[in-house]
Amino acid sequence: MPVDGVGATITPMEGTPSNAVISTRALTKHYGSVTALTDLTLDVTEGEIYGFLGPNGAGKSTMIRTLLGFLHATSGAASVLGMDVALDSVEIRRLTGYLPGGIALYDSLTGEQVLDYLVDLQGREPRRRAELCDRLELSGSVLRRRVRDYSRGMRQKIGVVQALQHDPELAILDEPTEGLDPLMQHAFYRILDDLRSEGRTVFFSSHVLSEVERLCDRVAIIRAGRLMAIHDVADLLARRRRRVMLRWRGTPDMSALPGLEDVQVDGNRVIGMLSGEVAGFVRAIASPSLEDLTIEPASLEEAFLEYYAPGAEEQQE
Amino acid sequence: MSGRLLAQTLRWQRVRLIAVVLAGIGWGLLIPVIYGAFSDVVRDLVDSGAFPAELMNFGSGSLFTLPGAITLGLQHPLAIAMIGIFAVGASATAVAGERASGTLEVLLARPISRLTLYASILAALLITVLVVLVAILGGMIGGAALQGITDEMDLGQIPLVVLNGFGLWAAFTTFGLAASVSFDRPGPAIGLSLAYLLANYFLEILGSLWTDAAWTQDYSLFHHFNPGSILTGDLQAGDLVIVLVAALVPIIYAIVIFPRRDLAAPA
Repeated sequence: MPVDGVGATITPMEGTPSNAVISTRALTKHYGSVTALTDLTLDVTEGEIYGFLGPNGAGKSTMIRTLLGFLHATSGAASVLGMDVALDSVEIRRLTGYLPGGIALYDSLTGEQVLDYLVDLQGREPRRRAELCDRLELSGSVLRRRVRDYSRGMRQKIGVVQALQHDPELAILDEPTEGLDPLMQHAFYRILDDLRSEGRTVFFSSHVLSEVERLCDRVAIIRAGRLMAIHDVADLLARRRRRVMLRWRGTPDMSALPGLEDVQVDGNRVIGMLSGEVAGFVRAIASPSLEDLTIEPASLEEAFLEYYAPGAEEQQE
Repeated sequence: MSGRLLAQTLRWQRVRLIAVVLAGIGWGLLIPVIYGAFSDVVRDLVDSGAFPAELMNFGSGSLFTLPGAITLGLQHPLAIAMIGIFAVGASATAVAGERASGTLEVLLARPISRLTLYASILAALLITVLVVLVAILGGMIGGAALQGITDEMDLGQIPLVVLNGFGLWAAFTTFGLAASVSFDRPGPAIGLSLAYLLANYFLEILGSLWTDAAWTQDYSLFHHFNPGSILTGDLQAGDLVIVLVAALVPIIYAIVIFPRRDLAAPA
């Protein structure tokens, strides 16, 4: 069995893109008779923010822990930053920043001592610490308080800083906004935006669809340990149907509503789902008798609910 | 081994270590005083036939000689408890405690192999055990000096006493740490380590108080650390080998098991 730097065999990674930062091939993990991951194959390429979505217990954390060498895959292969996770996990962790889900910190230390301790063990300079603390509103006086006195949100902020303070090539974040208030969530989103613009790669698990929409270039959807789909978020949003509501003066002209589906007419009101281009639709309905028009933004929610719905696994197979 | 990890592990223990070292020195100082005050009384009691001689023994120690009193002091439950705080308590909780609290994965997210983590924690624990042992022995030598009876033992043998005693307690420390890397929660690791210590102790004390069960002492690690014999120039090389092997086996087990374990998310 491949172990933490102790004798392992390398499985060739076929079809891995040259700019892949994370690659898995048929990655499978069993705990006794329980299957946590089944044949998971995906590639995360350099410079992208990659969302890893799934309901609780889907296998998101198992995947992350396998990438970092905490768990040993039952079969399949995985590489991070071009290194085999079974052979080179120490080197991988040198170049990676990791935020565990529901992070635990040393209660008896101050926030600053925790960050110093962890960055010392990382063996790299805390180049980003000051900037991160500033953006997450972790002042000097806050950092000098003991962790035991911190709220959940404060601990999460320290967790974010410890994961990113050494400016890692790859950030692996397990439900990073858990416990952060909306203001801090937005501060965190901006930090990730900056990382992306600097060419850093971020792999994060979440079940918050709005933040995936806001941040991710691509998403993988996992359920019961199986990969259900991988999508480009922009494509997915472009293809999603939007809810449209129109109000007419007089009787609606149903012939002038191209692309509108599931139409419901209620007096002078029309509600339907629009797929395809918005501009063409607006041009087609432009009329003096149109009193009001509402087009709701496309959301990933509908798409994800399809995958999360009971029986979705069978449909995928 | 990681110097930073070793230093931090020692730092976690420092308050406890200072308290136990002070208690150990105090206990050590007391032993020669007790010997000086009660040795003749005990001898008279045995000579009068009021008590069988074996009931005056405790483990391999006795109050008949200063080296015997030192053995008694080092095998007394108080001394066992003082060293056991680190050899059993700290070692059994070292990894399993971090695992249960969730801080282990924060540590292992750094570029530290599990073997480095294990070696650093082991080194720190062995240092604490050695410090407590030396504190107790130092107290005993200080007490003997205060009583003016240091000539009743061969002080040149003290390093061998430290070596043999360290071997004994290293065996319990490595066992505790091996248990700690094997479990996800500290409870089972503490239970197993404590049971191992108590079983060894029971076999030693039972054999010393009950002559028909004297054979049980051979199966106790405590029986393979007899400061009284060493201080009279009679070190059994076999004793040293046994305790060192007993210390080594759990290390080998941990080195094999720990890196291969799956560390799932803490519950």
